[in-house]
Amino acid sequence: MPVHEPVPEAARLSPRLLLIDPIRVLPSLLVPLAGVLIAGGFSPRSFIWAALGVAGSVLYAVVRWATFSYTITGGRLELSRAFIGRSTRVIPLERIRGVDVTTPFLHRLLGLAVLKLDTGAGGDKQEGELDGITVEDAERLRAVLLSRHHAVVTPEQPTAPRDHVFLTVPRAWLRYGPLSGAYLFTPFALVAGAVGLAFQWGGELGLDEDDAVAVGEWLWGHPLLLVGAAIVLVVLMPFLAAAMYAVFNWNFVLFGRGDHLVAERGLVNRRVVSLERRRIRGYEIAESPLERRARVARLWAVVTGLGDSQTRGQLLPVAPRAAVDDIAAEAVGPFSEALRPHPPAARRRRLFRAIAPWVVLALVMYALGYALIGVAATVLAVAGIALGLDRYRSLGHTYDGTRLSVRSGSLRRAQAVVERRAVVGWTIEQSWFQRRAGLVTVIAGVGAGSGGYKAIDAGETQGAAFAAEVTPDWLAPFLKR
Amino acid sequence: MRDALRDPANQVSPRARSLWFAEAVIVTVLLAGGLVLLSMWMTGWEFLPQWLLDRTWVAALVIGLLLIPFVLAEPVVRFAVHRWELAADVVYARSGWLSRKWVFVPVSRIQTVDKAQGWLERFFGLATVEIRTASYAGSSTIKGLDYEVAARLAEELSRRAQELRDDAT
Repeated sequence: MPVHEPVPEAARLSPRLLLIDPIRVLPSLLVPLAGVLIAGGFSPRSFIWAALGVAGSVLYAVVRWATFSYTITGGRLELSRAFIGRSTRVIPLERIRGVDVTTPFLHRLLGLAVLKLDTGAGGDKQEGELDGITVEDAERLRAVLLSRHHAVVTPEQPTAPRDHVFLTVPRAWLRYGPLSGAYLFTPFALVAGAVGLAFQWGGELGLDEDDAVAVGEWLWGHPLLLVGAAIVLVVLMPFLAAAMYAVFNWNFVLFGRGDHLVAERGLVNRRVVSLERRRIRGYEIAESPLERRARVARLWAVVTGLGDSQTRGQLLPVAPRAAVDDIAAEAVGPFSEALRPHPPAARRRRLFRAIAPWVVLALVMYALGYALIGVAATVLAVAGIALGLDRYRSLGHTYDGTRLSVRSGSLRRAQAVVERRAVVGWTIEQSWFQRRAGLVTVIAGVGAGSGGYKAIDAGETQGAAFAAEVTPDWLAPFLKR
Repeated sequence: MRDALRDPANQVSPRARSLWFAEAVIVTVLLAGGLVLLSMWMTGWEFLPQWLLDRTWVAALVIGLLLIPFVLAEPVVRFAVHRWELAADVVYARSGWLSRKWVFVPVSRIQTVDKAQGWLERFFGLATVEIRTASYAGSSTIKGLDYEVAARLAEELSRRAQELRDDAT
């Protein structure tokens, strides 16, 4: 396909944008403007100030427009802004995955559009945006920007049959739900919701604040009733949690359809999430201490270009560990490499961090005479010993030749297994305290899932060696021998 | 880390020390100024003990004095720590002051290269190069570069990134 290489001279956004920009900032100016007017008692002077504010926002829009330009040249898009500071963003065209043209209401009136570039980078800030070019320009640019885009996008066919059902979750597994701690606070949320509703609708039912205060006082006067209600709510916790969990995870089915992996669940609303298999780069397993005791776990897929991966990437509800491992092996590949432990200094650090804050709090509270809070903090400090030790036991990292794995956490112990090809860079961090302990946190940058997977408190040499083992080409030139 | 990784080859511009010093002074002045304002307001707080109310400016003074060693040390330490290198198509950069950070970004995974210059940087003839990949943990920001050096590095990186065609995830 012949491509019309556009004239390599800097283009500006459409000047029509100047009609929109001040209107867009107006809502955020409204409160200060009203404040100025009211504070000034609507005097002539206050109107002058308000007018200056509006004029300033118009001037700002003009300056923003005049100092921004974009160029497509030599196979790349350059966005540059030069006002007091200067900045240039260069985006190689072949990095552009998608171009999204939208026309918000005001833009549509003036024949303008917003062109957003999807470079597959995580976060909004990293993407490019041309806000306020003409619709024709947007269409032309889209053609130019995407002409180099060779990736074949295969649309999903929702009508295609299920190729292979990996797992239909048995009803019996729903009983594991509350172990994850999810929805445990449902009873309290329901009560809070009811109280909120009462306040919202109370006025229309002829109730007012005095009635609310009266109800509160009456309740306060019957402490037994309050305690009873609290006990009922606490007892209800696991049951309501189980019910909520069942509603959301009813008839969970995981099946393959074409080159997609599809998870379907829900009693009231059937939620269907399709994950493109070739975009799956790994998986993450999470367990709470209760779940570990019951040998169950939760499983997510690590998928490139999937926002909100914590809900959408879910491959299984709380399920027995054996099933979790099976599905993980099926979706991503088997991984059985044992984790390498981190040095003893890491144990000291985990213990210190789990205990010290509570000890400090306890001492301060005793000193101030709040003995009860002091006792509670002491109990938490003692519990911190077990927590710290368990956090240390969780720490580990490994690499089996194609996938790396890191694990950390206790109350939510999470292990991630990620393919080597998904790694886009490394960050090694060392806080002042870590430096004194000779430890580092090694973060594998991955353009999927949460963006980075951490090996917390690895030894200095161990950490650098881990990164070098996974991607020898990238680290070798900088290692000491 | 001294045993594991070697230092990146290049230092940042010596003028970066002035930049960091200026930034630290500005922050300190703003902080102390804020505390002075707060202390003027605090005189109305009757729940505070009288001896403190009589000397509300003490807080601003103490904070200011405590910060002076940091303001003096930060530029020097940062200048020793901040280093960068581009070798074998990998950007290797170290930064930090009280903490340390080493970043390795392979050029084949770069998605955008930004060259930016704030007003203070412009005053000192410095610039910042931001290299972004699909992950925050594979992205690097090199501050305090001489403007010319930054321009050349950004140019070289975006040219190489284009040559090394790759899916970048």
